[in-house]
Amino acid sequence: MKRALALVVILALVLTQSPLAKLKAALDRLRGPAHQGVYLVQVERPGSTKSYRLRVYTDGERAQIRVLEPKGEAGQAYLSLGQDLYLYDPRLGRTLRLPPTGRTERFLGSDLTYQDLMGRDLEDLFEVSEADGVLVLTPKPQAATPYGRVEVYLKEGLIERVRYHDQRGQAVRELLLLGYQRLDGAFLPKVMEVRDLLKEGYRTRVEIVEVKVGPVPERCFNPLYLERGC
Amino acid sequence: MTLLRLAWRNVMRQRRRTALLSLVVVYVTVATLFLFGFLDGYGESLVDAYAGYVEAPVVVAKEAWWEDPDPENGLMALPSLPEPFTPRLSLYALLRSPYRSEGGVVLGVDPDGERRLSRVPAKVKEGRWLSGPGEVVLGHRLAERLDVRLGERLVLETGKAALGLSVVGIVRSGVSNVDFAGVYLHLEDARRLAGQGILATHLAVWAPRGREEATALALNALLPQGLRAKGVWDLMGPIRADYEGSRLFYIPLMGLFMLLAAVAVVSTTYVSVRERLREFAVGESLGLTPLRLAVGVALEAALASGVGLVLGLLLGYALLAYTATHDVFGPLMRLSVELLPESGLSEHLYTAVRPVYALYAFLVVAFSGLLAWLFPGRLVLGLDLPRYLKGE
Repeated sequence: MKRALALVVILALVLTQSPLAKLKAALDRLRGPAHQGVYLVQVERPGSTKSYRLRVYTDGERAQIRVLEPKGEAGQAYLSLGQDLYLYDPRLGRTLRLPPTGRTERFLGSDLTYQDLMGRDLEDLFEVSEADGVLVLTPKPQAATPYGRVEVYLKEGLIERVRYHDQRGQAVRELLLLGYQRLDGAFLPKVMEVRDLLKEGYRTRVEIVEVKVGPVPERCFNPLYLERGC
Repeated sequence: MTLLRLAWRNVMRQRRRTALLSLVVVYVTVATLFLFGFLDGYGESLVDAYAGYVEAPVVVAKEAWWEDPDPENGLMALPSLPEPFTPRLSLYALLRSPYRSEGGVVLGVDPDGERRLSRVPAKVKEGRWLSGPGEVVLGHRLAERLDVRLGERLVLETGKAALGLSVVGIVRSGVSNVDFAGVYLHLEDARRLAGQGILATHLAVWAPRGREEATALALNALLPQGLRAKGVWDLMGPIRADYEGSRLFYIPLMGLFMLLAAVAVVSTTYVSVRERLREFAVGESLGLTPLRLAVGVALEAALASGVGLVLGLLLGYALLAYTATHDVFGPLMRLSVELLPESGLSEHLYTAVRPVYALYAFLVVAFSGLLAWLFPGRLVLGLDLPRYLKGE
């Protein structure tokens, strides 16, 4: 009886959750628990494909990404600390702090942005409403987003698809989550795919191949450790 | 007077030769007038573009900002100036639409102050000029490149902040910098993007046309230490070097061209004198001194080229008058604007018309006379009278 009551209460809480709370919860699951892992990134262009192997350390809020392959770009490392983004370039032998604009730039020439991998702009820049089970995000006044509307499709509280529309209503970009893995009661995407809807054949696929859930050493989020690794 | 009449009679006696000589001078006169008119017109077009659209007649800023135009070298307080002025805040920003991102310099302006000082507000062809914060006005070629339209939002990001601004106007000015790269936003928004309590990076100051450098000089005597005023010529950047380089290149070239025309006149006169040595010998025997005969030869050359000069001036000024009022060079300038979008070139170019060009063209006549005095004239001065009178 008690268990049934608790279930009803949880169900009621879920049902009465505001659209913003639903978005927050879904983003928490998208970023996953604290973990370290290896991500495979495949950048597809008409007639060519380029692959990257990345080591990622994240606590769900902060993230360090280190390029392992290809050899030519190995050693590059990125650190996202909220609004701050750092880049270590082994050819320069220096760590650079990138401006906030860097978060919306393409990551390693792919269709992904730093924001797709690490950020939470969706909850910061948009008003959230819900229509037919879809979260509809419209920019706040003077919000720094070029999109006119973003639709977040949820399935059982997990983000299944994020569709970005321009200000004329045309869909221009799409992020697809092709499955999640359950890790110690938390969720983490298995495969993500970003498609440029304006350019045929432009696609980036991210596959999370190795994951070790658990606390990440604090030094991984220190720019001083970007060069030597953590 | 008699000598002049004699020279004129000789010029008119040889009409075909005079016509040929005059033709050379007509050609050089028209070319001289046109070249100077074109160069001056180009210079004026640049001054117009920079003073009215790209910059201002005079700009006041900190010495440090002139060295490094970073907002952190901007003004934290605005000085008082005797001339009307408006504050501006320029900063580098990333412009982001859903389709394209590109970097550029954006200009924060006071909308009313700008109306008084710049011609850009009057060139808004779609929508309207800025009226308050949250708005942005773009050059039409930049709007096309970014693919943003009136009423849509454009994101501006700097290292300090980011804003989504609504596009309220599209400018079509005919000046390359404005149309290809112009981004105008409210001063308050620019201050938010720049941060650090910067009020402006520079002040755009009004000055009457042609008095820009003098106004800058006068301001520099008044401005507190650390601030410096620059006139429009100093604001032009590399295009000024291009213009001055053109002058440096074309003016000596034109001088050489004029000298060659004078040589052409004189060489023909030389042949003419050689053919008429007996005639000169008769003149000398009748009482004309060799010196007066040589002056007569110089006068003949000067009169023949003078006829060409008059015709050349008529034709040249007619051509200048036409090109000063009709946009003949528009297509050429539009091509230049496409090739050099950030040069500050205007899509229109009208030639200048100045009386002083006639003086430059007169140099051909002066050269011809001088050279005729020096060369064919010397033939007459060294004339062996008995030999020619005997008809040997």
